[in-house]
Amino acid sequence: MSDASFLSLDKLSLAYGKTIAVKELDLDIRKGELLALLGPSGCGKTTTMRAIAGLMTPVSGRITLDGADITRVPANRRNIGLVFQSYALFPHLTVFENVAFGLKLQGIGGDELTRRVDAGLKSVGLTAFSGRKTPDLSGGQQQRVALARSMVMQPKVLMLDEPLSNLDARLRLEMRTELQRMQKETGVTMIFVTHDQVEALALADRIVVMRDGAIEQIGTPEEIYNNPVSSFVADFVGFENLFAIRNGKLVAAGGIELDPAGPLPDAAGLAWRPRAIALGAGPFTGTVRGVSFAGGTREYLLESGFGTVKAEADVSVPGYPLNAEVAFDMPISAAAPLHRFG
Amino acid sequence: MTQRLYAPIILLLVMIFLIGPFFIIVAASFSAGDTLAFPPQGFSLKWIAKVFTVESFRQSFAVSMFLAIGGTLTALLLGIPASYAMSRYKLPLSETVRFLVSTPIIVPGIIVGLALLRYFVIPVGLSITLALFLAHTALVLPYAVRVVSASLANLRSDMEEAAVLLGSSRLGAFFRVVLPNIRGGILAAFILGFVTSFNQVPVSLFLSGPGVRTLPIDMLGYMEIVFDPSVAALSALLAFLSIGIVFAAERFLGFSRYV
Amino acid sequence: MFQNRTEALALALPAAVFAALVFVVPVVLLLSEGFKSADQWTLSAYVDFFSQSLNRTVFLRTLKLGALVTLAAAVIGYATAYAIVSLPPGAKGKMIGLVVLPLMISPVARTYAWIVILGRTGIVNQALMAVGLTDEPFRILFTETAVFIGLLQLFLPLMVISLISALENLPRDAVPAARVLGANWFQVFWKVILPLTREGLVVGGTLVFTGSMTAYITPAILGGSKVLMLETLLYQQVTVANNFVSASVIAFILIVMSFAANILLKRIATARNRT
Ligand SMILES: Nc1ncnc2c1ncn2[C@@H]1O[C@H](COP(=O)(O)OP(=O)(O)O)[C@@H](O)[C@H]1O
Ligand SMILES: [Mg+2]
Repeated sequence: MSDASFLSLDKLSLAYGKTIAVKELDLDIRKGELLALLGPSGCGKTTTMRAIAGLMTPVSGRITLDGADITRVPANRRNIGLVFQSYALFPHLTVFENVAFGLKLQGIGGDELTRRVDAGLKSVGLTAFSGRKTPDLSGGQQQRVALARSMVMQPKVLMLDEPLSNLDARLRLEMRTELQRMQKETGVTMIFVTHDQVEALALADRIVVMRDGAIEQIGTPEEIYNNPVSSFVADFVGFENLFAIRNGKLVAAGGIELDPAGPLPDAAGLAWRPRAIALGAGPFTGTVRGVSFAGGTREYLLESGFGTVKAEADVSVPGYPLNAEVAFDMPISAAAPLHRFG
Repeated sequence: MTQRLYAPIILLLVMIFLIGPFFIIVAASFSAGDTLAFPPQGFSLKWIAKVFTVESFRQSFAVSMFLAIGGTLTALLLGIPASYAMSRYKLPLSETVRFLVSTPIIVPGIIVGLALLRYFVIPVGLSITLALFLAHTALVLPYAVRVVSASLANLRSDMEEAAVLLGSSRLGAFFRVVLPNIRGGILAAFILGFVTSFNQVPVSLFLSGPGVRTLPIDMLGYMEIVFDPSVAALSALLAFLSIGIVFAAERFLGFSRYV
Repeated sequence: MFQNRTEALALALPAAVFAALVFVVPVVLLLSEGFKSADQWTLSAYVDFFSQSLNRTVFLRTLKLGALVTLAAAVIGYATAYAIVSLPPGAKGKMIGLVVLPLMISPVARTYAWIVILGRTGIVNQALMAVGLTDEPFRILFTETAVFIGLLQLFLPLMVISLISALENLPRDAVPAARVLGANWFQVFWKVILPLTREGLVVGGTLVFTGSMTAYITPAILGGSKVLMLETLLYQQVTVANNFVSASVIAFILIVMSFAANILLKRIATARNRT
């Protein structure tokens, strides 16, 4: 086993009855890595996680962890932690008892139990809440209990399902930092699920973008952000102007073809972020159909002969009023080439 | 003005109709006279005392207690796993199972008793006690399944999964995580089942033999022969017993949440 | 959601098998007796049953009493439930408790009380004679009236509870809004309350109707052999006439009517969801 494949999924297929949820997934996760599973709702993120945890039996494929094939190992013997989206705390137990649950099952008791549970509670800042029943806690506190409950088990892999989606904006930022800190301190291999690209980009060492039960792209945040391989990923990370390339021409979403402003690269399509659209001069013209102020920039909706184009410009340059005719350019050099389109 | 009086007047009349007869029973049981009458003739505790001395009442009370407790416990033993399976597994037969265990609520009890008598007691020689026990268990089963299912539905299944991921077995997760959280529902089901079984008449009508009959059937039989206030006294005592149990359950458990 | 089918079946099977063996099989066997004569499938038992005028009377009386009790329970039930729902929360809880209370008391005891009230020397007759309305005591016990009163008292709580939950789900301002628009109370009931509480009425109605049809104690104590209903007739057929075929016919009629009421309930409730 190399560190590069501490946890591997090998052609993993998962299904609910006859509906296939995940198709032949291949994925290698490094030891100590913080990996994000990113994708729209329903693409199979939770399902993948449940299979890794052992809560679901694969239709086919293999899962190996730390050199051992765990495909058929029951969930209670995998030592993989999972923080559920709902937290899944035990309402009849106190905070202390929740965190102690797994340790007690390992036969740990007495001073060692107290010491380890206290340490777990301290690491999430909940020492003062030790004797409370969990339903009395706020959502953020409940999540910390769930986190501590998994962490005290010293799991080989810790997985978190949408850990930030149930929190309000301020708590979300706080929790983000805290998860990152905890991961760096303990060195635990961590997988977290999100449908929010901002979270994934901010937190992860590596991002796995999923679509319809398959992996669309794997890469560092920079790679995903700058070089999306497909129109799907491009759209997901904020390239709002997407064009396919067919027979040497650009094809807009509505099917209208247009002649490119220069030679096209060898790709299936091109994508521009709104920022990459140059306003004021260029071969194309559009009518301003919408303007919105976004702090440092203004966003424009331009109606052109081949469809709607989204552009963005600094507020420092003079703006355009509604219904103004604006010339613009979509420089090939500023576009991200896409290897797959549609 | 008429609107302000509407609620009190309606409610007073309806409550007199619903609960008044109960007070008459209570009053009649303190009568000193020898026949059932209202207003009672004089005051005495002799009829209440007599209840405890009638041998057949003592026997049938024991039978009814046994059926109510044993039948309900058995129904829970059968019903809890079934409810759990129906709520936690994708079971193709779920609807069939649910239909099967809930039929006793749709079919009139007298028919169940008769059917058991006709096909188990008479030809096979099944004892009356056992037949009563089976019938009362079947009768209570739908209530057990319904109440326990309702509390399971309020319990998210990812709690069991969390317990398993922390090292517990599936069975262990049921006992450590599920059971403590549906305890209230189970107790509610027990009380509901107990009261239903204890007060049940039609199921037991055909199932009585020498020395084996339920208390309500015994009371019906006694009334046909003797018309003294002892049945009133017994009714009043039983009513207070039921009310006491339900009141305590409501007080300590919020019983009505489950029913 | 777990995926292990064997495990699930092992958990559900004991209850299902128990219900099937103790309940479904014997009941089906019993019912089949009414359709057989000398190993031939036939309806002759049913023809026989309905050819006797006593049986027809009992059948119609059972239907009639069931319907009348249900109707009366609905009328009183609406008046009561509406009054209870309009109470402040604390008083409302206590009232609901009082309505449920009789359900916990043995039906034998509850029916027994009516003997004291309706008998020849009972409270009602004493009162009537005291105010001089009659010299002779009325015979109320062992009439349909007595059975009607007993059944109504037994099952009214079920109707009230069903209607209370229906009324509580009524949109808060529906009734005041209708009043402001100029509807009188009669119109408010027919146009607003009734359509919006139909499901509760159907649930309560089914419970009361099936309950009344299949009650044994009340017709036995308050009706006696003079006012037979299907259940008491069934009992007589078995214990007096030892006629299991006739008992099977009655049993089938009772079950069919229970199921019919149950299906009707679901029909009406889903019909409403669709609109
Ligand atoms: N319990 C289930 N039964 C049937 N289908 C399910 C179940 N859970 C999820 N699915 C389906 O599997 C697919 C993947 O779901 P999921 O893994 O929950 O997606 P995500 O977590 O990415 O939102 C979806 O199409 C979803 O509808
Ligand atoms: Mg999910």
